[in-house]
Amino acid sequence: MTDNILDIQDLRLSFRSHGGVTEVLHGVSLSVAPEERVALVGESGSGKSVTARAVLGLLQSQRSAQITGRILFEGRDLASLSGANRRKLRGTKMSMIFQDPVSSLNPLFRIEDQFREVLRRSERSADMRRTREVAGKLLRDVSIDDPERVLASFPFQLSGGMNQRVMIAMALVNEPSLLIADEPGTALDVTVQDQTLKLMRKLADDRRAAVFFISHNLGVVREFSNRLYVIYQGRIVESGPTGSIFDDPRHPYTKALLAAVPRITRAGIPEIEESPEAFSAPCEIHETAGVAA
Amino acid sequence: MSAVLKLLAGRLAISLLVLAGVSMLIFAIARVIPGDPARIALGPNATPEQVEKLRQELRLDQPIWLQYGHFLSDLSRGELGTSLYTNRPVTRDIAQFLPATLELILAAGILMICIGLPLGIVAAKNEGGFIDNLVRVVSLLGVSAPSFVWAVILMILFAFFLPLFPIAGRIGTQFDVPQITGFLFVDCLLTGKLDALADALWHVALPAFALALSGIGQAARLTRANMVETYRRPHIEMARSYGFPEWRIARKYAFRPSLIPSLTIIGLDFAAMLGNAFLVEAIFAWPGLSRYGVAVILRKDLNAIVGTVLIISAAFLIANLIVDLLIALINPRIRHGRDRS
Repeated sequence: MTDNILDIQDLRLSFRSHGGVTEVLHGVSLSVAPEERVALVGESGSGKSVTARAVLGLLQSQRSAQITGRILFEGRDLASLSGANRRKLRGTKMSMIFQDPVSSLNPLFRIEDQFREVLRRSERSADMRRTREVAGKLLRDVSIDDPERVLASFPFQLSGGMNQRVMIAMALVNEPSLLIADEPGTALDVTVQDQTLKLMRKLADDRRAAVFFISHNLGVVREFSNRLYVIYQGRIVESGPTGSIFDDPRHPYTKALLAAVPRITRAGIPEIEESPEAFSAPCEIHETAGVAA
Repeated sequence: MSAVLKLLAGRLAISLLVLAGVSMLIFAIARVIPGDPARIALGPNATPEQVEKLRQELRLDQPIWLQYGHFLSDLSRGELGTSLYTNRPVTRDIAQFLPATLELILAAGILMICIGLPLGIVAAKNEGGFIDNLVRVVSLLGVSAPSFVWAVILMILFAFFLPLFPIAGRIGTQFDVPQITGFLFVDCLLTGKLDALADALWHVALPAFALALSGIGQAARLTRANMVETYRRPHIEMARSYGFPEWRIARKYAFRPSLIPSLTIIGLDFAAMLGNAFLVEAIFAWPGLSRYGVAVILRKDLNAIVGTVLIISAAFLIANLIVDLLIALINPRIRHGRDRS
């Protein structure tokens, strides 16, 4: 278990507000092995995005957030690290790709400035020449043919798909061992999204980086992930190899989720049985040889 | 940078047009308001012949469009006519009084930027916390009372009860600084009289602070509000996910995009102070242009009114021009046009 890149054990998260304390994660446990692509699937508000942010440590600075449970990254308990040591991991050993590429980049700086800032997380003395060298190579890897022009541009001068690729390249600058992707490309149209996902998959494979992937899109998840966790209202309800879950969904929520995929052959969105009681049934785990779920 | 130059040229052209419009407007208004300038200038004991003679000297007997023509030809020679109040060329009056006011306003503007912006940043970084609330209350206080109230309060507190600052004037009488530029600070520096400079700075502190207080409050509140909003944008979260230091995120990712509205307000405040400084100048016996402007309006001193208003308008336009330029330098969308490639 300890050779996992990421191990989340019984993660509970609650937010304090004027109305009292609301628990949004009720004991989430999951793991990501090296070079594995793991998806966390659920509907909006199920707690998938906050899980990713808790791993990066982005919620810990919020006064209203309370977190218990353990998050182990490469065997180290993140809670035991000092704030500064924790910050050192971000952007170097783990990096995140965000949902909306255009507004996630700093609007006032050129792409090359933003690359340099990221590169300096690992190479303090990196100058613009070195930045262009590193970033140029990465941009070619994400199928951008004219990196010089892109590097000299501001985010608002590039298309959404371009910005998304820039963001993927940026996330890979410091060769992270874990890439967290929060619904990448959801803000883009379907064909561009498909391209960027394929790129991301190839690049992660090439660099032997593990990917922790968050999505509500089952089609995307089926393409992309080796293993899958289904999350519903802050609880993992089913987990196992992607193929196994798609072939044999056991939990009522997973079944409903799979049934809810709109099909072009059938007219529109299918009716889903409302059965919230069944959805709180205990977690189903698909056992596999090899990787423990 | 050519986009910036183009923008600058455009703004400059518009500014000149505005200035021409303002000159016509103020020229007409000054002549339309009731009261005979010649009669006011000569007093109740002057004979009708004397009054008529002065009216002719002032060309008040001519049609207004002819008067404006004369005004323009004077202006092209760099003259604004003679003031009836001081009996000197208006240009000389302005050259004498404007530097004192500019110094006061510049000092107030620097206080506005150096106190207002940092207060807003600190408040935004501690949103909802004690410091945030403190800044909000203090800046609301600053905005809600006019500067002459602050001038009186500050004077009573820090010049009278606690004599930390001089009560009035531009510089102590013991100093004799020769007039070179008219700007006291510059003249002190040019003649190497550093003790006089210190004294002048000490004198400007209270009036400048009184004048700046509402601007400080405004800048702080605006900066805070914009930064709080910017902090919620996705690019801040992305910066945090890369582990950039918080102060760097505050500066490069939150403050810079939030600076644009604050700059606009500061620019406008800067120019507005030129007119609003009057009461503060009166309270602190500051020999500035605002006091001059009010004195000449009360005496219906036509040439001086037109000259003063033109200078204030020009200051507004210059302040706006500088702000536009700064915004263009900060915001690449303006600097590079909106072209998508």
